[in-house]
Amino acid sequence: MSQLQTVVFHEPKAGSTDEEWEDGAGHDPGDPTTGRAARCVVVDGATEAYDSIRWVGQLVDSFLGVQPAGSAPALARGAMDDWFGLMQDRWQQTAPTTFANIFEERKFREDGSFATLLGCEIHGLGGPRPHWSAVALGDTVLFHVRGARVLTQFPALTAEDFGLNPDGVFTQPSARDRMRTRLDHAHGRLAIGDRLFLATDAVAEWMVRVGRSDPDLLWPALGRLHHPAVFRQIVADRRRAGEMKNDDVTLMRVDITASDPDLLVVCR
Amino acid sequence: MYQQTFSRSAPGCIVFLVDRSDSMQQHWAGSGLTLAQGAARAINKILLELCVKSTKEQGGALRCYFYVGIYGYGLCPSTGGEGVESALPGPLAARGIVPLPELADHPIAVREEPSVDAMPTRSKVPAWIDPHHGFRTPMCLAIATAGAHIYEWANAFPQSFPPIVINITDGMVTDSPYDGADLGGWAQRLTAIQTADGQALLFNIFLSPSPGSGVWFPATEANLPHPGPDLFSISSPLPKPMVDNARSAQIQVAPGARGFAFNADLAMLVKFLEIGTRFDVRDG
Repeated sequence: MSQLQTVVFHEPKAGSTDEEWEDGAGHDPGDPTTGRAARCVVVDGATEAYDSIRWVGQLVDSFLGVQPAGSAPALARGAMDDWFGLMQDRWQQTAPTTFANIFEERKFREDGSFATLLGCEIHGLGGPRPHWSAVALGDTVLFHVRGARVLTQFPALTAEDFGLNPDGVFTQPSARDRMRTRLDHAHGRLAIGDRLFLATDAVAEWMVRVGRSDPDLLWPALGRLHHPAVFRQIVADRRRAGEMKNDDVTLMRVDITASDPDLLVVCR
Repeated sequence: MYQQTFSRSAPGCIVFLVDRSDSMQQHWAGSGLTLAQGAARAINKILLELCVKSTKEQGGALRCYFYVGIYGYGLCPSTGGEGVESALPGPLAARGIVPLPELADHPIAVREEPSVDAMPTRSKVPAWIDPHHGFRTPMCLAIATAGAHIYEWANAFPQSFPPIVINITDGMVTDSPYDGADLGGWAQRLTAIQTADGQALLFNIFLSPSPGSGVWFPATEANLPHPGPDLFSISSPLPKPMVDNARSAQIQVAPGARGFAFNADLAMLVKFLEIGTRFDVRDG
């Protein structure tokens, strides 16, 4: 019987505090008794956007159906488009009524906020044929890995593609047509022992590069990752070596297992 | 080189040199403005964009991603004579190069314009410099003055993207040679200032009051009338981030392109400044 074990590692930009981390991640284990699928989401707020943390939090909470309760969208294009509209309306409804200065007001009205999105649903847990389906806007990436082999990378970006993809979920209604058009879908079948990695662009770009040159080292190493201090050290080392750009970093790992976890990490 | 992103720990430095000589009173064809008015408007627009870019969270202060300096040459409004002086407003002028959040707090005026989002409100648009014109064109002294300030800035921020100096002029230099060096010599001294990320960049934009086809980011001085070749020769090659900016603005740039525009109209000036001042902010 398959089940999920999920862990999230994250790290702010070098020089920023943990409170300034502008990505977001969350998961819902689902409920096989009601048929509610499990969900995972990773969102990357744009550094130059307005109030990224609020927009990212809103997207994560809603995609998981936490706030507003029951707002989790189906992943079909039409349902996602409706959700984009709901999110934009909610952003406006919860907008500040006063601004600290004319620059903030201009940023809110003219630029708004923007985040990339990778949302994933996992069906059939507890049954013989679990499978995932996912939606993406932008360069947050899902890797479906079996052993040291990537079965699917979604979206299928090359290392050179990162930073050039302008897609994401925008607060501006004028972007909604493009969001609907550019929304990408993928799906895959899962087996016990498979792993899904959901990664924001800086770490995903590094994973694409290293996964190409040294997959036998990369994927098992990421699969053995348990403590956030180890992840923090990896990120710091790769940044120092110039192999990972200085950006907020988020990595969610979803293990498809047949049993409960045999390891519990408690961090001080 | 030229890889550093802009952040609070590694801010950038952008310095404008503005020709305030007598010829800047000429009307800019098609704009309804004089050259001096158009230059001031373009700089105010870019400063506003930098301020908006530096705004992050609700209720928060601007973040210091940029330091800014503005120097006028020709008429010095504070004395009424010819020379070079900081065009920063009020008390900031004495400091030369200041953090953008401080400049944001000191506009000389805040005007109202129709809101761009069709709301029944009007946008407030700050201005930091006014147009002025008079006397000749002491461009060497302007570069020397700016160089002294950016030298200090580069020493204070050795890991930052190197300073960017953008010279906006319509005239022939009138003080070359100055203090033992000609215009090319002063430009060399300026661009010898460096951070760990590269040498200071000097870009030049030559304004023309006549309508005509301007040239921007040329890779050769061929076919440029006087003083185009001189200004081309002192202009820095465009580093990769700006080549990318130009290409994303649908402007084709050849290998070896320099940060130079000739016979620019107002739209070209604004676009040129945008390409020269648009950077990734990676806060930290």
